[in-house]
Amino acid sequence: MACMWYPIGFTVAANPSSAVVKMDEDGTATLLTGTVETGQGSLTILAQIVAQELGIATDDVVVVSADTDATPMDTGAIASRTTYVTGNAARMAAEKVKLMLFDVAAPMLNVKPHQLEAKDHKIVVKGYPQRNMHIADVANHARVVTGEPPIGSASFNPATVALDPETGQGKPFGTYVYATQIAEVDVDDETGEVEVLRMVASHDCGTPINPMLVEGQVEGGISMGIGFALQEEILFNDRGVQINPNLTNYIMPTSLDMPEIEVDIVDNYDPTGPFGAKGVGEPTLVPTAAAIVNAIYDAVGVRITSLPATAEKVFNAIQAKREAELKQLPA
Amino acid sequence: MDKKPTVAEKTVVQEPGILRESVIAPLVTYPIEVVVPKARQQTPAVGQRATRLDGRLHGLGQTGYIDDLAFPGMLYAKIKRAGVASARIRSIDTSEAEAMPGVMAIITGKDVPCNSFGPSLKDQPVLAHERVFHAGDGVAAVAAVTEQIALEACEKIKVDYEVLTPVLDPLESLKLETPGVHAPSANIYQSKVIKKGDIEKGFAASDFIVEGTFRTQMVEHVPLEPHATIAMWDANGRVTIHSTLGRITLGRADVARTLAIPISRIRIVATIVGGNFGGKNEITTEPVLALLSKKSGRPVKSVFTRPDEFIASTTRHPLIMDYKTGVTKDGRIQARKIRLVLDGGAYCSWSETTLGKACILSAGPYNIDNLYAEAHVVYTNKTMTGAMRGFGAPQVCFAYETHMDDIARLVKMDPLDIRLLNAFNEGSLSPTGQSLQSVVVKESLLRAAEKFGWHSNGKGSTNGNANGGPKLLEKENANGNTVRV
Repeated sequence: MACMWYPIGFTVAANPSSAVVKMDEDGTATLLTGTVETGQGSLTILAQIVAQELGIATDDVVVVSADTDATPMDTGAIASRTTYVTGNAARMAAEKVKLMLFDVAAPMLNVKPHQLEAKDHKIVVKGYPQRNMHIADVANHARVVTGEPPIGSASFNPATVALDPETGQGKPFGTYVYATQIAEVDVDDETGEVEVLRMVASHDCGTPINPMLVEGQVEGGISMGIGFALQEEILFNDRGVQINPNLTNYIMPTSLDMPEIEVDIVDNYDPTGPFGAKGVGEPTLVPTAAAIVNAIYDAVGVRITSLPATAEKVFNAIQAKREAELKQLPA
Repeated sequence: MDKKPTVAEKTVVQEPGILRESVIAPLVTYPIEVVVPKARQQTPAVGQRATRLDGRLHGLGQTGYIDDLAFPGMLYAKIKRAGVASARIRSIDTSEAEAMPGVMAIITGKDVPCNSFGPSLKDQPVLAHERVFHAGDGVAAVAAVTEQIALEACEKIKVDYEVLTPVLDPLESLKLETPGVHAPSANIYQSKVIKKGDIEKGFAASDFIVEGTFRTQMVEHVPLEPHATIAMWDANGRVTIHSTLGRITLGRADVARTLAIPISRIRIVATIVGGNFGGKNEITTEPVLALLSKKSGRPVKSVFTRPDEFIASTTRHPLIMDYKTGVTKDGRIQARKIRLVLDGGAYCSWSETTLGKACILSAGPYNIDNLYAEAHVVYTNKTMTGAMRGFGAPQVCFAYETHMDDIARLVKMDPLDIRLLNAFNEGSLSPTGQSLQSVVVKESLLRAAEKFGWHSNGKGSTNGNANGGPKLLEKENANGNTVRV
């Protein structure tokens, strides 16, 4: 078992994100973001956040990303910050679009703008759902009649307080996430080889914007954690030159090394995140190695204090333990 | 679109089995049939198990990674690596390589307008100039009409080195008498301290004191897509760089600095990147490619080989972690003292952030009133360590959580119970004095334990394995035993 805490965003340093959202006449939206999709699914998360704010579906949002000529400033895909920081900026930009739509729709529905909400592709009078207009009609009206094409931009930067250089006291991060992972392992006490059979991972990410992508992050993090715990190590010769810079001799987990993984998302809501969301990218591998090494102890009673816990290291520790036990036997 | 989905439909779509069925599409059929999984069409959008915008393109091989892009007249670049960890460069002779047919441009460190970069300390050269600080340093770069010719040209470049003794051990590097890797700069290039309460008082109030030393290794990010770049200039003197960068705005500023041109003359595009994990958060070959493209007047592409990825990109910091914890008989942590030494490799890179996060997080998600944590990062002549998923947190978590199990065994408590006893609550003050909100560490512990079957799995005993447990040393103090684990 191992639990952990992990912050979202940079340590004190400004790490802003800006976003631009615009709506076309058919009620679909485009998000411009300077962040980079690096495989984690962040653009889908951002599309979901924009869609939620505008009351449309994920598929109704096109995301244009990562071009310094076209997209606004973003600190990038780092520090588990995209959902929280870029997500906040995207939500706030979408909110501005929404308020423009409310201004256009209010006189058409004979209400004040604050009486409106965006829901199910419609601009709806709160509490009176029968009183509504399709969002595409409002967006089109804004473009071609009132001459106010809906567009909004916003920036977000987590609120922090610099750390005291002497004591380190301060507020380095906007928020943190928490998690626990528990590993079940099979240790071959003749060879020292460790097989991870099962991992249970309970992760907090605030509101899960997309539970499937949270699960994907956790599963990917655990695979990386297993490599860190048991297999991966860059080795140097005595002249400081790497001796295993290739995937033949640098061993990392494959699908055959993956255990059964049960992902559990802990209910939580962070008031400073977009729709209560925080993040999940990096934390998913943080407790994995500790959980596995604690499970090794539980299985064979040896404490591995240096990673990776290779078969050789575990075998030697088991041998040392047996020798120590023999010495303790009464004569 | 205006058909509002019923509640029943939503339930069906969210059923994992059904969802998978709707996602599985046939291989490419023409005309292309577009299957939009239902979760992508649902409102409200938040909470939907929506498939990724790029998933279908990846699945059908339609994603254009940099290696898939080609431009008319494009050249291929290779970088010659030093292969020695520490050396003085006496001379570089590129004449034979330059005479090869198909070689269009060669540059070395002296051709880089501003030959230093880095996210905090600007201590990393674009290409080595006069000194080599680790074996993966680039010493020359070639652009040629084929990759093979570029590779052969690299082999024909002759570099004369005066090989120096490398500093490889971070604990050696820490010593004042060890020669400076970047002399006259000190080998300890950054430190951080966090103090809370009074650890001496805390240790005095403890029944047991537990100590442990933990070490972690250097690992690589191993993204599926290695670092890749294409650079090309237009007739207006603007350079467009397609890059695998995860941070395009910082990257653009760094490229502008190294090339000594205005930011406005650089466009960086990084639309799709095949895995980052922290390894692509700073520039690597972008300035080299821009210079080769400028010199040759052609678009130039470079894609790292897997060995390049290991030896010439950043890696995870190895840590040496000393922990000392004072605990009462009933399992309450009274004080903790921590020292972290980070192997910073040849250049600073993201060490400042890694050092800071490791230090702040090193005590774990626990209420510890008396805490002293110090962290130091040192230069060695090894592959540079930088940003990697977790920024020091996986290393310190390995230490604080295995240490926690040792403590639990000593006070004969279940590992779950001792964690629940000490874990943060809503409003707990972090080691830096920050009042924490939306804290669910206990919930995550209880839920994971329940899902795992912690208590029904033979756990929940104190695991009082006398032989395997931490050994009691003879040294005792008035308050209890010092235990070395």
